[in-house]
Amino acid sequence: MKSKVNFDAAYIPSEDLVCREIEGELIIVPLVAGMGDIEDELFTLNETGRAVWAKLDGKKSLKAVTEELSAEYEAPPDEIKRDVIGLAEELLKRKMIVEASKK
Amino acid sequence: MVASPDHQVKPALFTKKREELSLSSQQLEKLMRGVLSKGACFRFQGKGCSMSPFIKDGDVLTIAPVQASAPCFGDVVVFTHPNTGKLIVHRIIGKKSGSYLTKGDNAPEGDGLISGTAILGRVSKVERDGKKPFLGLGPDRFIIAFVIRTGLLPLLNPAWRFVRFFIRSRPGE
Repeated sequence: MKSKVNFDAAYIPSEDLVCREIEGELIIVPLVAGMGDIEDELFTLNETGRAVWAKLDGKKSLKAVTEELSAEYEAPPDEIKRDVIGLAEELLKRKMIVEASKK
Repeated sequence: MVASPDHQVKPALFTKKREELSLSSQQLEKLMRGVLSKGACFRFQGKGCSMSPFIKDGDVLTIAPVQASAPCFGDVVVFTHPNTGKLIVHRIIGKKSGSYLTKGDNAPEGDGLISGTAILGRVSKVERDGKKPFLGLGPDRFIIAFVIRTGLLPLLNPAWRFVRFFIRSRPGE
């Protein structure tokens, strides 16, 4: 079950994770109960995910992120919106992002 | 968004099992430093036999940050070797001029002097096939470090095999 995101809210990566770019891939290690366990799970983002992730700065709303990406990429705005919301829901469900106003 | 034909079927976020991702020593260090700098522990699978028999190839190691207390004699630590840049897991067998003398329990040579800044963390737990080996990190580590430093370990191997046989042959083991 995915968590509901607020399209008008800004989100920021959680402090409980470590994110590094390795061999062209963005690797995210969640810190669960004070442990970064790379034997258990590593998260990676594809190119689409990375483009969205890079804009989650806690200032821009998801709506603004969608608008920026629509200007940068040649893809239907609806598709971009779906991607942004889909990723944000997935990240929120895994507690990898937090709503900036609730931080 | 990236206008690729298969865009629809690509998940933006996905998990990878460790074995699917080949990490070099430098890349592993990058992740480890990131995790330890947040005061969290780092769990990964070790490779190599230089710490055998106490840590074996494929054992899963938990590394704890060293910010709270400086590593000491007998501790098994992770550090970046100053010459090779490789990530090494070896035991501290001495201290000299603020640096550490380290050596693998099963390595023929020591690593030389390792500065405190090169040490990322301390091995706090070893898991082998889901179980915790009974020697290597407890109070026995002082004796092990002494034996390693004096080069007596090869001479103690027959005794070690006997102890291991005795423990394994106990009822219920």
